[in-house]
Amino acid sequence: MNRSLLLVVEDDPEMRSVVSFTLRNYGYDVREAATGAEALSQIQTRTPDAMVLDLGLPDIDGFVVTACVRQEHEFPIIVLSARGEEQHQVRALDSGANDYVTKPFREGELMARIRAALRRPVPVAERRDLNVGDLRIDSTQRRVFVRGKEVTLTRTEFDLLDTLARNADRVVTHRQILRAVWGAEHVDEVHYLRVYIKLLRTKIEVDPARPTRILTTLGVGYRLVSSEVLS
Amino acid sequence: MALRTAALQRALRDYGFAAACVVLSTLGAQLVQPYGHLADLAMIHLLGIVFLSLRSSVRTSLVASVVSIFSFDFFFIAPRYALAWSDAESVVTFVAMVVVAAVVSKLSENLRRQEQAARAVAARTQALYELNVELSSSRDAAQLAAVTARHLTKLFGVPVTVLLQTPEGTLQPAQTARDRSLSQSAWLRREFVKQHAPSGTAIWTPVLGAHSALGAVGLKPLLPFEQDSEQGVLLSACVNQLATALERVQLAGAVRRTQLEAEGERLRSSLLSAVSHDLKTPLATMIAAGAALIGRTGEIEPKAADEILRSVVNEGERLSRLIHNLLSVTRLESTHVELRRTPESVDDIVLSALGRFNDRSRKTPIVSEIDPDLPLISAEPVLLEQVLVNLLENATRYAGSESAIAVYARAADGSVLVQVEDNGPGIAEHEREKVFEKFYRGQAAPKSDGGVGLGLTICRSIIRAHGGKIGVRERAGGGTLVEFTVPFAAAREQLSREASLDS
Repeated sequence: MNRSLLLVVEDDPEMRSVVSFTLRNYGYDVREAATGAEALSQIQTRTPDAMVLDLGLPDIDGFVVTACVRQEHEFPIIVLSARGEEQHQVRALDSGANDYVTKPFREGELMARIRAALRRPVPVAERRDLNVGDLRIDSTQRRVFVRGKEVTLTRTEFDLLDTLARNADRVVTHRQILRAVWGAEHVDEVHYLRVYIKLLRTKIEVDPARPTRILTTLGVGYRLVSSEVLS
Repeated sequence: MALRTAALQRALRDYGFAAACVVLSTLGAQLVQPYGHLADLAMIHLLGIVFLSLRSSVRTSLVASVVSIFSFDFFFIAPRYALAWSDAESVVTFVAMVVVAAVVSKLSENLRRQEQAARAVAARTQALYELNVELSSSRDAAQLAAVTARHLTKLFGVPVTVLLQTPEGTLQPAQTARDRSLSQSAWLRREFVKQHAPSGTAIWTPVLGAHSALGAVGLKPLLPFEQDSEQGVLLSACVNQLATALERVQLAGAVRRTQLEAEGERLRSSLLSAVSHDLKTPLATMIAAGAALIGRTGEIEPKAADEILRSVVNEGERLSRLIHNLLSVTRLESTHVELRRTPESVDDIVLSALGRFNDRSRKTPIVSEIDPDLPLISAEPVLLEQVLVNLLENATRYAGSESAIAVYARAADGSVLVQVEDNGPGIAEHEREKVFEKFYRGQAAPKSDGGVGLGLTICRSIIRAHGGKIGVRERAGGGTLVEFTVPFAAAREQLSREASLDS
């Protein structure tokens, strides 16, 4: 099996070695960087398959690192940040990070995020049919099947589900969803989203009161899960 | 110019009135003449003089009395129609008329002055009283200055400037809400022009406190006045009231600052004493556990090693929770909490809290019933989730891992009402308020469970910041019921499906 190369960018040496140790244990190749500058030069030498990036770096702001990387590279970036700093997570995601993990985290959580991030070798956006867990989305015909049974969605509901499905298993921020579904001028109308997520859940969840497919990440956005990752 | 015209008009009116009195008394005498004595005719003239003197100045009365004498002499005293007299008796009448005019007009003038003075005193008292009432209900210096300026403007009929002494010792215009919209330099320029305009002089009165100057009040009166004039006295009385009020406000500010500092000091020391133990204990456990494993990974049974490592993780998580709580309290207790509010649905928050709480030590699942048709609330969702997690943690901690815990959410009076209940031992009535205080732990609290008595304090701060209420009750059938409210979002943040652009 072709081992993926992960770049761990974290200024705290203890934290860095624990993360690297965990990732190596799971069979990844790991390189380390302690600063943003070091990370950028490592990426120049050898492009990793994914990057785990701490937001609080001593030299370059984590958001800036993300933005710099995104100008040239497509590889997934998973951001590490402290709990209670949702606005940082949102900012990181909006500036191009693929996902985030809050510190302190358990290893299972970090591994699930990395697996989900690495799982898309071809851009999902170019596929015709999306399969997310027991959902099948036919983008050309705009039809949706839940466990083989077709459900009827309105145009907005379909666009919303489609946006989430293209980014399956990663958090999509409110702004990202609003921009994709309602357009750039509506990025602050979070209440649209609340209502339509509710409507969508009643159609695709087994128990809309206890959603298991569309999960809420408070203060950040929504995540459509392909059940395998959650476990 | 205008003033001179007014004075002239007053003099004209005065003399016109005097002339009318003289003419009328002469005409009256003319009518009575065929039947009356000369003394009666003199009396009629005297009546006219007295009547006039009651209302006119001394000078006008004297002039009128002399004119009246001439007319009396000319028309009635033989030889008639000539300015001459034949007997001494007439001279006495003349003198009497002049004296009466002088005395009566002087007396009535005094009376008028007194009345005017009394009226002025009453008006001043009234003005000062009104100023005082408004000053004593004002809370800050800028407001005091604005109130004083408004009252003085009303009293003197001209714009009034109030400058306040800044802590740096310079005089600054008191910034009221309206003035703040103007840039300060523009404001100063405007005031400068107003005060130093070529016509008229501004009067600046210092506002003196017991120990220092507090500011200055400037106005440009229509007519210049002296400091001891009626207006001068009124002005300085008003300024004195402003000084007293300013000192009161300054003193109150100083007292409040001292109180805040003392409060902060007390919080810091209780924080330190409460927290130091709770911070050190988990650290000590982690260090000891880690040290026990170093160099012995081969000797220790894997099961025992796991046990030790698990305690490291548990203690670490406990420490992490504690620090998170401390940071929350610090943020929420600081004076200005800016909530990052968004329209949120209650079920998302409750479900997220249940998901995060997800305590593995619980044996029975938590029941939740959320009204599916609740309107959105405007909230910082992560904070409300924190409230629920804290409440769930408390319920598990005090009621035990096998207790029945339930979360309910429904609409109540423009708000969402969220209730978290357990069937544990409950909270004694006298403790139901205290449990929200910082570092207060219930009587039933286990001694060493990592709690420091901040959970409910944080909950209360968060709910209050959202404009809601939180309280503890006894659950029907025994146990604790904590409930809180959060107001629904404004109507424009609610959206019905029909209102949206969908097909």
